[in-house]
Amino acid sequence: MLEVSGLTRRFGEMVAVDDVSFPVPSGGLTGFVGGNGAGKTTTMRMIMGVLAAHAGTVSWQGHEVTREDRRRFGYMPEERGLYPKQPILDQLVYLARLRGMSTAEARREISALLERFGLGGRMKDPLEKLSLGNQQRVQIIAALVPAPMALILDEPFSGLDPDAIDAMADLLREHARDGVPVVFSSHQLDLVDRLCDRLVVMARGRVVTQGTGEELRADSALRYRLVLDGDAGWVRDLPGLHVRDVSGPEAEIEVVSPGAEQKLLTEATSRGNVLDFHRVVPRLSEIYREVTA
Amino acid sequence: MTTVKTRNQPVWQIVARREIAVRATDKSTLIGTAVMLAVIVGVLGFTAWSESREKTYDLAYSATVSEAMVEGIAERASDIDEKVSIEPVEVADEDAARLALEEEQADAYLRATSDGWTLVSLEEADSDLRDVVDQAIQEIVLAGNAQAAGTSAAVLTEGSQVAFDQIEGDSELSAIRWIVGYALAIVFYFASIMFGMTLANSVVEEKQSRIVEMIAAAVPLRQLLAGKIIGNAVIAVGQMLIYVAVGLVGLSLTDFSFALPALSGAIGWFVVFFLIGFVVLSTLWAVAGALASRTEDLQSSSTPITMLLMVMFFGALYLDGIGEVIGSYVPPLSAVLMPMRLVEGTAAWWEPIIAVVLLLAFGVALVRLAERLYSRALLQTGGQLSLKAAWRLEE
Repeated sequence: MLEVSGLTRRFGEMVAVDDVSFPVPSGGLTGFVGGNGAGKTTTMRMIMGVLAAHAGTVSWQGHEVTREDRRRFGYMPEERGLYPKQPILDQLVYLARLRGMSTAEARREISALLERFGLGGRMKDPLEKLSLGNQQRVQIIAALVPAPMALILDEPFSGLDPDAIDAMADLLREHARDGVPVVFSSHQLDLVDRLCDRLVVMARGRVVTQGTGEELRADSALRYRLVLDGDAGWVRDLPGLHVRDVSGPEAEIEVVSPGAEQKLLTEATSRGNVLDFHRVVPRLSEIYREVTA
Repeated sequence: MTTVKTRNQPVWQIVARREIAVRATDKSTLIGTAVMLAVIVGVLGFTAWSESREKTYDLAYSATVSEAMVEGIAERASDIDEKVSIEPVEVADEDAARLALEEEQADAYLRATSDGWTLVSLEEADSDLRDVVDQAIQEIVLAGNAQAAGTSAAVLTEGSQVAFDQIEGDSELSAIRWIVGYALAIVFYFASIMFGMTLANSVVEEKQSRIVEMIAAAVPLRQLLAGKIIGNAVIAVGQMLIYVAVGLVGLSLTDFSFALPALSGAIGWFVVFFLIGFVVLSTLWAVAGALASRTEDLQSSSTPITMLLMVMFFGALYLDGIGEVIGSYVPPLSAVLMPMRLVEGTAAWWEPIIAVVLLLAFGVALVRLAERLYSRALLQTGGQLSLKAAWRLEE
């Protein structure tokens, strides 16, 4: 498990990251969300040791992370790129060697990954000759060799086409299943919703909420959706409820005092037909909007 | 999870190997080297060829008085300059001579005047031809005048010989020392600029393409810097050794080969100073690269170091006497001036040793400073940084 505790970083007077703590458990995907300037990239750079922390620690399997540990973390920076003019196999082997691999092993693993990503025939091509999507694939491979102990990916989905997004998602799930802690940041909330087991939400340099999907949903109020055959405007008059939305026969309410939803249902059936009444499970993206609002 | 063997090869070696591999297969490097070699071989070859070439001049005359004089000159030519011979060409009159000159059937036309002779040529006559004609006419006229006065030329010029003797060295060797010294300064200047620019470019390339953040996450930036500088130095020194070797072999084939034994020690020192001076300046070039964000910024971020190189270069050209002696100890000027003094033969054996120690100490201090600037500026991608701003950055 990778764990971040109390990370803080200032740039002059501005506190970019303020006492940020969260775990990245093995065997799951942790989504890292927040608006621009929330402090995600700064946090990830501190995890990788590219930027020094003013306070706080990053620990790996219970001890403070070392440079050797970090050499085995797969990292995809937000601002990324490779050597434009060097053949892709050569530069991937070079990066793998910097991270402690022997040339022969690096060649073997990288060739296998290039084959898997459909780039087997282009190993000797310079990077700049590849399409942007393929360049992105090469960048992903750079983070995956040598087989990473943890994956720290800053916006790995940005700039990918839908097929590549699916391939990337499969890849992340695969690594998570193998027990690798994976944390990635993203602006695509639906994607985070679909993929992540845990969510860490940052705003203005602080963690505003975090937890598994269930934990986050448990924190938010119960919500129900009601559809009648007549006008639903009367729900506003009932006590113990917060009405989120009413339009014609439809209403969405939040329970303020427990049991109020039962009284609502009784009232509704006494007034006419109830076409639909069900609990609304908020999406992570909705939770995100609530906590960062 | 598969385990990965960590080889014990230091990171800087991996970096240096990549630098060398990329550079050695780079077309512009290969073409540049080939062109430079062609220039060296061409210059030396031309020197050797023009030295050994015999020159024959066609000298035209029209009047009978001139015929005797031109034949006299032709007779004496090889005694005056062994590589010059004169071929008399008879023409009808002055107009015909002019035509012969214009049509390049003669190189010059000798005409008698009331008080002597005039050598007419289309453009300025070759100095070899002028010297031979001038000296031959003087000898012939002197001999004629002496005979008319009842004496001989030998008697008339007796006691007028001036011989030149210098106590230290010989003049021709001094000239060669001077030329070789300047040539070395020029080689240092151009090599520093050329390889420095390449290094700065490869630093900014890593910054511009953002790959540096992935490298920084894997290895200490100090090792990246060391690897880049060493790789670059290996290529530069390798190229320099090829040039020096070809130059020395070429020189040994010319008439200047007698100077080689006197210069070989100094040229050995030159390689030592070149290596140290080059590495010291390389760290500055790497900083210039790190301060820029894009290749376009490089021009301005490298201005301080190009200024420094200009100072070193012109210092080497214009300092002499006590200034040169002092300069030959002051780093980084000493990297150029001390080898020049050694080539000139004005430095004692212990002087280069002290200069090397000073240069090394200066280099170590500078490398530390440069390392701080380099590693802090490298991850700042928002435009060009000033030196002051880079120094104040936190890691």
